[in-house]
Amino acid sequence: MTPSLADLLRELMRALPNDTEAPSLPEPLAAVALRPLPVGRWQRLSLLGTLQAKIAAAYAFYWIRSWFQNAEDWERLRAAVHWRTALRLLDSMGYLRGAVMKVGQTLASFPDIVPREFVETLDRLYFDAPPMHWSLLREMVRNELGDDPENIFASFDRRAFAAASLGQVHRARLTTGEDVAVKIQYPSIARTIHADFGNLYLCLLPGRLAKEWEQHKKVLDDLRMRLEQETDYQAEGRFLAKVRPLFHDQDGIVVPRVYPQHSTAKVLTMERVEGVHLDQYLASNPPQEQRDEFARKILRALYRMAYAGRLLYADLHPGNFLFLNDGRLGVIDFGFMLPIDDELWTLFQRIERALRTGRRDDRIAAVKEWAWITEDPADTERLRLCEEYTAWAWRSRYEEGPFDFGDEGDFRRGIELLTELAMRHYSPGRPCTGVILRMDFGVRSLLYRLQARIDTRAIAKEEAKSHGLGP
Amino acid sequence: MRVTAETKAATREQIVDAARRLFAANGFGATTTRAIARAAGIAAGTLFNYFATKDAILACLAADAAAAAQLEFEKMTGQADSFEEDLFGYVAVGLRKLKPLRKHLTVLLETALCPLAATTADEVQSLRLAHLETVACLARKHHLGELPPMALQLYWTLYMGVLMFWVTDGSPKQEDTLALLDHSVAMFVGWLRREGKRETPAEGEP
Repeated sequence: MTPSLADLLRELMRALPNDTEAPSLPEPLAAVALRPLPVGRWQRLSLLGTLQAKIAAAYAFYWIRSWFQNAEDWERLRAAVHWRTALRLLDSMGYLRGAVMKVGQTLASFPDIVPREFVETLDRLYFDAPPMHWSLLREMVRNELGDDPENIFASFDRRAFAAASLGQVHRARLTTGEDVAVKIQYPSIARTIHADFGNLYLCLLPGRLAKEWEQHKKVLDDLRMRLEQETDYQAEGRFLAKVRPLFHDQDGIVVPRVYPQHSTAKVLTMERVEGVHLDQYLASNPPQEQRDEFARKILRALYRMAYAGRLLYADLHPGNFLFLNDGRLGVIDFGFMLPIDDELWTLFQRIERALRTGRRDDRIAAVKEWAWITEDPADTERLRLCEEYTAWAWRSRYEEGPFDFGDEGDFRRGIELLTELAMRHYSPGRPCTGVILRMDFGVRSLLYRLQARIDTRAIAKEEAKSHGLGP
Repeated sequence: MRVTAETKAATREQIVDAARRLFAANGFGATTTRAIARAAGIAAGTLFNYFATKDAILACLAADAAAAAQLEFEKMTGQADSFEEDLFGYVAVGLRKLKPLRKHLTVLLETALCPLAATTADEVQSLRLAHLETVACLARKHHLGELPPMALQLYWTLYMGVLMFWVTDGSPKQEDTLALLDHSVAMFVGWLRREGKRETPAEGEP
């Protein structure tokens, strides 16, 4: 018996995922469903996204979540009232769409620590990110590289061994014998992100007169830039090719080779680096000297990229580093790199010279220049906080001898200062400040977990000197 | 002169070949049955002994593509770990084979293939039945039992939605369709599993 139209529509609606408010059906069918006209602001927002907006959401959450993995030892801050509101909203929508904005605010407010409730919400949404099964993967490889994986590679592991920026990584071997890691992106993410941000900006236009508009826009721009860059594997391939020659055998730092003939904007084939991630490494109870050596390599890699490559390694989370058996450090993800232009470079050098003296007056002058802080008495508190935060962040650079990055009290102090800055909605200053803060906290959390005691100042000096930047 | 079955089949093949060429060169809308007949080397009226309408010729081309997809899919069978994966693979192979007809399919999707169509041509009917039979076989293979009529109708509706989206998909290499197909398959299988649970009473229940 053929089911009636009413039965069919009812079942169609029931077939929709539970957490999706707006039907994710192709238009001809969605039109049949005769949805009521959306009237509320959030309803309008919820109808904005394309079908794949949800994937973008899952991606954004995946990305944030990666910072919090294994962060049990960290103090979880309690959520502020507006946070809870945002969460409830996010939860009820179960969809990114308008919530991109909230994610942006989140990033601005708490670069590395979030309340437990938020992490839990992220976890749930994260699991909605669809892994690609073999049939989909084969179609993507066919689309991108022109043939089935079995015909392009000598061998190709059907099971992914790691998650990537909205995609996954598979082990494979080239026909020429090299072992490679093939990163494959879920279809249509990049375009969706672009389209959704366009919609989001349009939708937020009525709010442009609000006090926080500029701040929100900067955060959104930052988020958009990051998402767009991370979904362009060709750009990542170019960064890899630029960074790899900066390191030599004696550095003990490995950056994988890219195989351009097997790479596109959505497929990135690179040399396979075999090593373990931070957790696994720490679980083996490595001795202090070995941990310190890895910490030195992490810092050396970052300084080298900045001084020699004029690139900020903006995607700093533990998953991007591999600890190799032979003591080498693998740096494997270049999804988000921020190039430093000449103007910024000159400013960086000036600020760095001032901050590494360790003198308070120099620091105040540098902070004022960086964050455009005036003599206005209204700026006094902002100056005080920014100066204190900078003193904390730079202490390892101006104090002689090894610095104890494992000092919990000191680490917490940094978190408190940053949280206070965010809670007071102090403008971060230069547009790249958010990236630098995330980088700062990313590296501090890595070194904290390694319980490293190393002389940062000596490494920075050595790197600067070898690139003609003087003492 | 008696027209043998072989001659009939050959003429039919000529018509279909000519139509394939003309649709590709000029589009479905700009191709007339008269032009097809001329290209096939037959009289205009003779064409109607074989196909009642231009749509029927298109349906025949679609059925040929579906049959080729079926053969290719059968070669791949056994590789998939799950029903979702198999189903996705089956539809994806079909899309690949239907690709030369992509721009012209709208007319079939809006009429004969439409989930709510009351009557359909033989070619379309067999295409639909063959496709649904394969889906039902895959469900059995993955221990999901016999698919009820509602499940098949729901599947067909989603499948047609994917095809409808695909014919106008402007994304590079129609990658948006892949994402939509993945979602639609997940949606359908999710519904199927929920239905299965609902209909199987828990232990101890009457």
